[in-house]
Amino acid sequence: MPKENKITNQKTAKFKELENAYSALLNVVEDINEEKQQIKKDRDRALVIIDNFNDGILVFDKKNTLSFTNPPIESFFEMKTAEIIGKSASALAEIPIFESLMNFLSREETKIFRKELPLKKNLILEVTIIPLTEEKEEMGTLIILHDITKEKTIERIKTEFVSLAAHQLRTPLSAIKWTLRMLLDGDLGKLSPEQRDFLEKTYKSNERMIFLINDLLNVTRIEEGRYIYQLLFCDFLEIIHSVINFYHGELERKNIKLELQEPGDKPPRILGDEEKIKLVIENLIDNAIRYTFPGGKIIISIELLDEEIEFKIQDTGMGIPKSEQPRVFTKFFRGADAIKMETEGSGLGLFVTKNIVEAHGGRIWFQSEEGKGATFYFTLPLTRPKME
Amino acid sequence: MPKILLMEDEEIIIGLLQKKLDKEGYEISVARDGEEGLNMIKEIWPDLILLDINMPKMEGFRVMEEINKNPTLQRIPIIVMFDSPDSVDLKRAQALGAKDWFVKTELNLQQILNKVVEQIGR
Repeated sequence: MPKENKITNQKTAKFKELENAYSALLNVVEDINEEKQQIKKDRDRALVIIDNFNDGILVFDKKNTLSFTNPPIESFFEMKTAEIIGKSASALAEIPIFESLMNFLSREETKIFRKELPLKKNLILEVTIIPLTEEKEEMGTLIILHDITKEKTIERIKTEFVSLAAHQLRTPLSAIKWTLRMLLDGDLGKLSPEQRDFLEKTYKSNERMIFLINDLLNVTRIEEGRYIYQLLFCDFLEIIHSVINFYHGELERKNIKLELQEPGDKPPRILGDEEKIKLVIENLIDNAIRYTFPGGKIIISIELLDEEIEFKIQDTGMGIPKSEQPRVFTKFFRGADAIKMETEGSGLGLFVTKNIVEAHGGRIWFQSEEGKGATFYFTLPLTRPKME
Repeated sequence: MPKILLMEDEEIIIGLLQKKLDKEGYEISVARDGEEGLNMIKEIWPDLILLDINMPKMEGFRVMEEINKNPTLQRIPIIVMFDSPDSVDLKRAQALGAKDWFVKTELNLQQILNKVVEQIGR
């Protein structure tokens, strides 16, 4: 082959190569463009979703500068996006309407947390604060604002209704109580044994109704944040004795033994609301008696711990099945077997009890096995006098 | 005969208290709202006021505030009757000078009578 031909052939091959490379490159560019378009499309779609979201979204970057918001933010805060974007959290905190929200943000939280925020008249928001992290590195914070005004309004109306109904019921209940007592005391004439028997039963039913209404009122007060505590120094053991005394008749009637184990040392006085602590003990003893079979036994023991006093009440009753245990302290909860055994009971007692104990800075819990009784515990903090 | 002014709007409650206190020899006058009650105090100069907190026209707390403006009236002991007080209500009644108080559903008429006797005797 002549030399020139060889060179031409080589050139043609090179050209081919280049041509191939070029078209490959074109393909790559095309792919990239397509990819870019796709990314843009995806991004636009995400933005459309975020913009049309009913919830407000605020994103703060690593340096706590507001880097992104969506349209609902403008209507929630009555400010244009341009007025707030790029501002630091501390600068935003200077704007009155942002102040309380920014206070939430300033908490050093590493976990997601939720909080209610009444932002302005007729707008209550549920604030969810989510720390944004990528491979353990902090990227900023996402805040989601969800309008819960409607739910809150319904909740308020419901609570108000229960409160009103309970208040209205109390006057007639007092009247019934007084009238029955008068009749029973013979103030309105002599009674036959049968009349007396019926009236006594009616009196008891009425007392139960009063108890139930009180429970309902306490629940509405807890929910409205109006369950107010009057803290005074009081004698815990004395409160327990007085409550136990009250149940003497009931215990005898049901043939249930009650044993009280007191600590060797007299406990110091506790700082608490005596009436409400009484209610806690009443509720626990009441439950123990209610769900213990005749001939059973209840043991109450008081133990002095380092910083708190522990009340423990153990019964030999029907116990609480495992499946029902998580709901024991929730409102209106009543065990399925409990309802079979005792139709009465509001399902409010333990809800109120837990609220009272926790408001005093104490803890409440229980252990139980179905058919083997239940043991309820609660603690109250001890405020020992300072050592001189 | 000791005179008691009962300020209460519920007829059945009035009837029951009246019967019980009457029988024990007290002279009972009844005002069915706060305004009427305030006017009656100066007419009958009672030895004791039994005051319901939830009343039309003028609630019990307001009645006490008005009474406190007059040092002579202020000397009349007041027993406050509640339907369902919370701690704040109790504190307020005490601050306004109530001598005693009770929750209607918690006491029987006899126990209420005992409270009256404690204040003004028989």
